[in-house]
Amino acid sequence: MKEPMYKSARDLPSAHLLGAGTAMCAGCGGLEVVREAYDVLGENTVFVNAAGCMTLMSVYPFTPFRGSWLYTAMASAPAGAQGVRDALDIRRAKGELEAGDDLEVVVLTGDGAGYGMGLSATSAAIDRGLDFLYLCYDNEGYGNTGQQTSPATPHGARTATDGALAGVAGEKKDLFGIWVANRPTYAATVVGSEPLDLARKVARAKSRSGPRLILALAPCPTGWGFEPSETVAIGHLAVRTGIWPLKEYVDGRVEHTRRPHPRLPVTDYLKTQARFAHLFEPEPNEQVLAEIQASVDAYWDAVE
Amino acid sequence: MTRTLLTGNGAAAWGARLARADYLPAFPITPQTEIIETLARWIDMGEMDCRMATLESEHSMITAAGAAAATGVRVFTATSSQGLLYGMEMLYTVAGWRVPLVMINVSRGLAAPITLETDHNDILAARDSGFLQLHCATCQEVVDAVLLAYRLAEDPAVRLPVIVNLDGFHLSFTREPVELPDGDLADRFLPTFDPGPGEIRAGKPTSQAVAVLGGGPYSYFRYECHLAALAALEVHRRNVDEYAGLTGRRYDALECYRADDAEVVFVMLGSFATKAKAAVDQLRQAGRPVGLVRPRLLRPFPEADLRRALAGKVAVAVIDQNLSIGKGGVLHGEISGALHGVSGAPPVIASFIGGLGGRDITAEEFFEIAGQTARAAESGQVPPPRLLYTLHELAEMRKLQAIAHVERQEEVPGP
Amino acid sequence: MYRIRFHGRGGQGMKTASRILGSAFFLSGFEVQDAPRYGAERRGAPIFAFVRAGRAAILERGNIDRPDLVVVADDTLVAIPGAGVLAGLHADSVLLLVTTVPADDWQQRLNTTGTVLTLPPPGGSERDPALLSALCAGAAARLTGAIEREALIRAVDEELALYPADTIAANRAGALAGFDALAVAAGRVGESGAVAADGYDAPDWIDLPADGVGLAAPTIHAGATSVEVRTGLWRTMRPVIDLEKCHRCTWVCGTFCPDGVIGVDAERYPVIDYDHCKGCMICLAQCPTHAIAAITERQGREADIAAEGEQA
Repeated sequence: MKEPMYKSARDLPSAHLLGAGTAMCAGCGGLEVVREAYDVLGENTVFVNAAGCMTLMSVYPFTPFRGSWLYTAMASAPAGAQGVRDALDIRRAKGELEAGDDLEVVVLTGDGAGYGMGLSATSAAIDRGLDFLYLCYDNEGYGNTGQQTSPATPHGARTATDGALAGVAGEKKDLFGIWVANRPTYAATVVGSEPLDLARKVARAKSRSGPRLILALAPCPTGWGFEPSETVAIGHLAVRTGIWPLKEYVDGRVEHTRRPHPRLPVTDYLKTQARFAHLFEPEPNEQVLAEIQASVDAYWDAVE
Repeated sequence: MTRTLLTGNGAAAWGARLARADYLPAFPITPQTEIIETLARWIDMGEMDCRMATLESEHSMITAAGAAAATGVRVFTATSSQGLLYGMEMLYTVAGWRVPLVMINVSRGLAAPITLETDHNDILAARDSGFLQLHCATCQEVVDAVLLAYRLAEDPAVRLPVIVNLDGFHLSFTREPVELPDGDLADRFLPTFDPGPGEIRAGKPTSQAVAVLGGGPYSYFRYECHLAALAALEVHRRNVDEYAGLTGRRYDALECYRADDAEVVFVMLGSFATKAKAAVDQLRQAGRPVGLVRPRLLRPFPEADLRRALAGKVAVAVIDQNLSIGKGGVLHGEISGALHGVSGAPPVIASFIGGLGGRDITAEEFFEIAGQTARAAESGQVPPPRLLYTLHELAEMRKLQAIAHVERQEEVPGP
Repeated sequence: MYRIRFHGRGGQGMKTASRILGSAFFLSGFEVQDAPRYGAERRGAPIFAFVRAGRAAILERGNIDRPDLVVVADDTLVAIPGAGVLAGLHADSVLLLVTTVPADDWQQRLNTTGTVLTLPPPGGSERDPALLSALCAGAAARLTGAIEREALIRAVDEELALYPADTIAANRAGALAGFDALAVAAGRVGESGAVAADGYDAPDWIDLPADGVGLAAPTIHAGATSVEVRTGLWRTMRPVIDLEKCHRCTWVCGTFCPDGVIGVDAERYPVIDYDHCKGCMICLAQCPTHAIAAITERQGREADIAAEGEQA
């Protein structure tokens, strides 16, 4: 399939497919990503959803989707995608469906399912070479239940279950790296605040078949503790501090689509969010701040 | 029709083949694996037009099965025991989607301790899930039950998934003569798959399995599942008549064997019911009016049929090959509930629990169950539930415990 | 038993208000139940919490259908039927609104002869949720006449124990402000009895029909039905575009809006769908020419009414 051209932001669609009126929080970074991606994917898409914030996208009798949607469970959305994809292929083969009746099968998952409970089903779907797109909105915690620590929560962040002392002791899991190790046909990281980059990547993913990852950082006003108006600004800072590298894996190679120069100090990003406030007050936690900066520096040193 | 020797697993695979299942999401587990291996071979050899996908767990397998059915194809799948429980979340989920599919469960006892041998705790754990249940006693019944299950699941008044249950080893690995329906007969009985109103395709927007807020909508959807399951009783009755007309084989919701003039009736599920039949024959020869009632359809529960079959009996002996820990036999509770307050209900409904994890129930035990139940009716004293276990078995167990270096507890002196 | 409901928006602290009042009752020797509505709350969305208090063990459960007192922290909720603010008010109920509109006006608007009391928003700032919740709790406490100042202050201290000292102090002051403001109406809210078992209205149970699966599956058979949900009602602040400052870039505000509620008109100006805009203000923060300003929803509605008047 030929991918549409997004030369500049002016090529981005100004009419949006996703219906308004969803129950997502005001300023939801995950909803922003889904909305931007849906404009590129088009309505001939079936979302197979894993339990998470986006479970509440469709609450009877209200759905924002113009195509199809199937809610499954927390652990097995990729298996649901397998069933839908296989059934569409069977019906195509039997002549019950024309090419125009086909759908792009997209798993929609948060980081709780994506990095944790659903990882086995995801890994197996990649093993089977399933033709699907995996869209993960990563808000770095179990957001729908009140932002408990998930395998995607970054080092030092406070959550509802790591509220004391220095926050989460562990490191954020590298889901992009796990996917790349499985040699998918495409993998990319995106953020809603970089819509042109996102549109190009979703279009590139859509033009290919096989297992494809779109991993989106989803700034979360409710869970991270910032004003809803700051969602996009915080997404920009995640990129400009180098905390959220924008990259893609195509034809066996990882390329960075944005190399922040100069890279802003990570504190520019961290200090915007209540979940990191304990690293600055009552006095700065120099050790954890240095650890976070060192981890980001090491990443970019390896890249450059 | 061809008569051939088949295992229960082979019969299940033939059921799927005759039903022209389009899709087979699979995951191996003993003693079910032969079913998917058989189907895989037929698919590879071009004998069966079906797509197979090996999932990484039963949870995913049942998800894929439900999703494919929701998209619009006929789905067959199979599991057993631990696998059924691993997929339990998706049993409830997929039934709530209101999609038709057929799944085999090969019954096997549940861990711990882990075992490969049969009992019914696995399938009864799925009792309340919304999957309808057909229970088989012979390999012949397995192939026929698969066709009946598809017809039932896909009926517009039902649209619920169905489990066909067969016992591990006693059916799964045991060959018996099976009369296979001809393909065109199966086609006549089972029309091509109707995707129903909710199929997933372009140009037909549907959002399926959506969340609800509040008890009103939730109750409506759950009640409607229940009403559809109840409607399946009448649908199955019609299907059974039609199938009997085509094959000469009748599979009423209840199998009643020498029950009409019986005073004492065994009630049990599954393949050991054929052993109960043999015991009935011997008891009859000894002048004892004993019969058997075996539910084939457990969900929906054929309550009216059971009342008709058991009203006026002197006593009922419910033989449970399962154990609800801390309660007793699951079937005993169901039968008692069905008969409570019914005029002419048997005054004695005795409970016997046995055949767990592959343990046999011997002919002598059936005789003794009949005897104790009849005596209970005479005395008017309902006996406490009996866990079938012999002195000899305990002695053998003690030997194993000695090898395991288990410290025997000293007898604690009484006060 | 006292049956008291607090209505507000997600983020306005109605759960805290119910807990302060619940604790204050408890410290005053009452048996108590307090709870927030259970569900998927979102910032700005209408929510409620409730308190029951009595001298005997409380056996009722769940939402309060016939409240003795309804406290409304945000008067814009009154006009939203789905918020259920007025549900179950009876002749002896008291309605307490945090509002700048006089009580007489409300009585007229609501066409009621029931008791309506009002309380101005704390410190003139309707966006300070912490103080709003304490204010509501203090006012409710005074209206029952069953709670002393000391119990109220202790309740604030207990509920906010994990917060910094200045937050606790501010909330104490907020609670006392509510308590003192309602001195004139102390004890106006009374206790009511339970539903009587003689002469009750029988439930209209039916035998549910077995509907076909087209009806009876949890499936929506159409696209984008969510537009019927007016999430614009969540909004407390409204973004307004100054077309003279707008450079018609045609993409920034519309692309960054998570809810996709900013479109472009024929002249390439952005247009906000206020029925669905949740008021997140990302558009305001991102507009490169600062063409978007925020006004309060109250100001917005007044402007709407004025504009309608001009049209008429």
